[in-house]
Amino acid sequence: MTNPYQQQHSSSGFGGAGTGDSSFSPSGLPTPINQHRSTSSYASVVSGAPAGAASLSGRPPRASGGAFSHLLNPSPDSSSNDMHSSSNLYGSTRTSHLDMSALPHPYRNGTQGGGGGEQEGAYIPGYSSGSSWPPPTSTRLGLPWFSRAFDIYMNKKPVGIGGFWGGGVGGGMGEDGYNTAQTPQLGTILSPSYLKGSVYMQKLEEAHRAKFLAEREGHAAKSQSGSAGGLAGNMGNGHHHGFQMSKLPAGSHRGVAFELVEKPPASSLTEEDDSVSPLPSKWNKEDKDGALEVLGEGYEVKYTGRSSSDHEACAIRADHYMPPQCGVYYFEVLILNRKREDTTIGIGFSSRTVALQRAPGWEPESWGYHGDDGNCFAAQNVGKSYGPKFGPGDTIGCLVNFRLGHALFTKNGDELGIAFRDVNFKDVKGKLYPTVGLKKPGDHVWVNFGQLPFQFDIDGYMKKQQKMISDNIRNADTSKLAPPLNETELIQQLVLQFLQHDGYVETARAFAEEMHVEKLALNLDPSAEVEGINIKDDEDASNRQRIRRAILEGDIDRALKYTDAYYPNVLRDNEQVYFRLRCRKFIEMIRKEAELNLLLEERGGKGGTRGAKYDTRGEVDDDEEMMDTTEDVDDSYEMTAAGVSKLSQEALAYGQELRVEFKDDLRKEVQKHLDEIFALIAYPNPLKENDVAHLLDRAGRVAVAEELNSAILMSLGKSSRAALENLYAQTCVLLEDLRQDGGDGAFVTVQSVIDDVPKSFLL
Amino acid sequence: MSSLSAGLDLGASDLDQITFRELIFAHFREKYGTMTSSTSTATPLKHAFEARVAEIKSPKSDINALILDYLTMEGYPKAAAKFSKEANLQPQQEDPSIRARQEIQNNIHTGNIEAAISALNELDPEILDKDPQLHFSLLRLQLVELIRQSNGGDISDVLSFATRKLAPRAAMNSDFLQDLEKTMALLIFPHDSLQPELAALLRSDLRRQTATKVNEAVLLRQTERREAAIRHLVKMRAWAESTARSKKKDLPDRIELGLNGEDNDDHDENELMITT
Repeated sequence: MTNPYQQQHSSSGFGGAGTGDSSFSPSGLPTPINQHRSTSSYASVVSGAPAGAASLSGRPPRASGGAFSHLLNPSPDSSSNDMHSSSNLYGSTRTSHLDMSALPHPYRNGTQGGGGGEQEGAYIPGYSSGSSWPPPTSTRLGLPWFSRAFDIYMNKKPVGIGGFWGGGVGGGMGEDGYNTAQTPQLGTILSPSYLKGSVYMQKLEEAHRAKFLAEREGHAAKSQSGSAGGLAGNMGNGHHHGFQMSKLPAGSHRGVAFELVEKPPASSLTEEDDSVSPLPSKWNKEDKDGALEVLGEGYEVKYTGRSSSDHEACAIRADHYMPPQCGVYYFEVLILNRKREDTTIGIGFSSRTVALQRAPGWEPESWGYHGDDGNCFAAQNVGKSYGPKFGPGDTIGCLVNFRLGHALFTKNGDELGIAFRDVNFKDVKGKLYPTVGLKKPGDHVWVNFGQLPFQFDIDGYMKKQQKMISDNIRNADTSKLAPPLNETELIQQLVLQFLQHDGYVETARAFAEEMHVEKLALNLDPSAEVEGINIKDDEDASNRQRIRRAILEGDIDRALKYTDAYYPNVLRDNEQVYFRLRCRKFIEMIRKEAELNLLLEERGGKGGTRGAKYDTRGEVDDDEEMMDTTEDVDDSYEMTAAGVSKLSQEALAYGQELRVEFKDDLRKEVQKHLDEIFALIAYPNPLKENDVAHLLDRAGRVAVAEELNSAILMSLGKSSRAALENLYAQTCVLLEDLRQDGGDGAFVTVQSVIDDVPKSFLL
Repeated sequence: MSSLSAGLDLGASDLDQITFRELIFAHFREKYGTMTSSTSTATPLKHAFEARVAEIKSPKSDINALILDYLTMEGYPKAAAKFSKEANLQPQQEDPSIRARQEIQNNIHTGNIEAAISALNELDPEILDKDPQLHFSLLRLQLVELIRQSNGGDISDVLSFATRKLAPRAAMNSDFLQDLEKTMALLIFPHDSLQPELAALLRSDLRRQTATKVNEAVLLRQTERREAAIRHLVKMRAWAESTARSKKKDLPDRIELGLNGEDNDDHDENELMITT
């Protein structure tokens, strides 16, 4: 914070200091033709970058979205649903700003005071400095607009995440201040908008998270024993507020680990997980010609050596190759040169075998577009006429489409047409790295690898690709899946078989009946008998259904009793399932207590127990829903503080029992899960804690119920999966195969199908 | 041999059947020890693809959502209600349109097109005006139903309906005209010796297709989704397999869904018995 410029504008304030609409344009920089597009240019979002990056940092812990959107998205007209999905602060910024032309533009720095920054500056705590782009003082200071003084803006790395994260959550939850404690932060990873939702990004995030957890494990190991001891020590008095947060494994309340155990993303494939290559994120200082210098955070490259001969150029490659699994890869390069006549820059991609003394495109395994003549070069010395020349202030984008085997460039957001076609990029021996070649002293570029939004509408391009694929899918011939069934019949069979397989007897009957009515209606021959579908009275199915119901209602004891009676071997042979059931019982006890507590509070108004400051914001809704369906708060417990305390004592006693029973089980995941659920005791009311409430979620019941159901089916020698589940899994694997080399599979996910289902149908 | 398989089928319940089978297999294993080992080597090794499939989790919450979505969208209200209950899903607020859509579908399935059209107009007064294609499909089906009813008798109703309702529309659109001509050909040829293309018009498939089209159109206007997610998934599965095969990916000759019977092991076991 010693940067004088920064101090200056934070003191001068932003909104008022701008020079309004006076369109001062230094160094004759081109202003974007298309105003709408200019809104997606770099600097207009530099102001929003830190905040946006926060939402890019993988999924926030469950249910904390409410707190976030409150902070980030206070204006009623900006769509808050974007906040949960990992990107579009930018999008919502774009749409909610009233006057696009009033947005600041990076290349006309400081020329327009904008409404944009003002809006964000006003609402995002701690980002006043970020929001004061463009620096209104720069021209007055006489600094050229490309001065490194502005690196801080241009290269604004999402370093603020940690602070923001903690501050945001803390501010949102407020009351107990638990979150003020320092916990290791799950940092962010580069997540370009157009790859949002892709399996590739999911894998990157998983890998990132796994790494983070592994690192944290090291920290946690020390305090782990302390945690167990803490629980035991506090059990005696039953007064669990004494349980100190500091004794918990660091960050355990965040529940990240639990999510991974409970439900890994559906499409995760163990095989490929290890080998997911990161995205290019910076220039590689180890992979450049000596005449080049990497500046700032690693996005800028400048020619600082002496001028080279005609046959030479100086190239630099990115740190990682463009991963074909993305299907499409895109990056943009902004030319920062001072003088147009001295600009000789080539932009493209090459493999590591290509000499760094050659401009991209001149050598085999190298492709490029050159600014001095507008030609493109495909692995040879002779170029062909392609597009306009480019120079200072221009943004050149390079797009590789692995599926279609072509590449194209963009200039200032406009597509220039296909430069190289019929190239099987995935068959090129070496991996391909984003590359620039600079030729003259003073050549100077800045790259956007997706850390900021692009000028070119790459998201739209990606959508078109996806639409092509989904059109193909829509027209797919399904008749060969299970001949002679046609699509409608096949789906009916899949559904019916699933219902029977999973023991949904009543539903299966109702469905069969409705199908029968349909058949009767369709029957054209009145004399023909229409056979009904006879859903057998399957004793086994009803037993399984009975057990499932018990678990889904939270009555684990009943489920254990039934299972013992009908399938005595199952629990003995499936230790893991038994363990999960026992743990679930503990969770249900905590849940019951927490619910009772909430009821008491409601009745007693504010005068009740701790947590009276609990206010009604977004996240409470869940709890209220739970309250509506509290089939499991039974009447045997009086709704009194005494009742609650009785419950909590029981829970503690049972927890102790669990601890003893499994103390010899040294498996990491067992002990980890125990720690996790015991941590619930530490909270006055875990249902109100965003970080742990999900442990109590009803979805957990489904998971346990299905694990047990599968175990029972296996014990009966039946397939543990219904045909529909096979179909689901097969589709995942097939898509994975189609994704490997950037083919069609890169543009579709099974998850997208599930996401189409209205949220209310999910638990 | 046959007595054995007959014995299998007589099993009172699945459970008994399985125990019974196990007994029999144990018996054969003892008797033809070498035989079983030879069959086990003959059993083809699991393809790597199958092993990967087995590794994939198919979360029940996703599958349950698919089922409930299907039952709701494709018009099975009773089953949808039961399923919400049995799977302990959040109680759904019943969408009043689910019954209306079911009624319309049922009318179309039974060939009562007039009733379907009026119910459709009640549900969504604009839909037919906005979608001439859909309207024509319904009227054409109605014409087919009239022809079916006339069954070689008096066709004056048919003709009047065709001239009144369909001809003006067909005049505007060559596809419609072609469809109309084809349909009218049903009047000329005896129904028991029709060309396959014409015969198809008289099968119940046309009713079903039309009903599906109508349902999709209503859904698209109400929910902006055309079809249930499960349909999308099934299509995706079919598309992915054919694309993967065309790209020469390493796949087993046939990827079984496992719709019939529990698994393929039963097959092998039966074959074992046949060879003995």
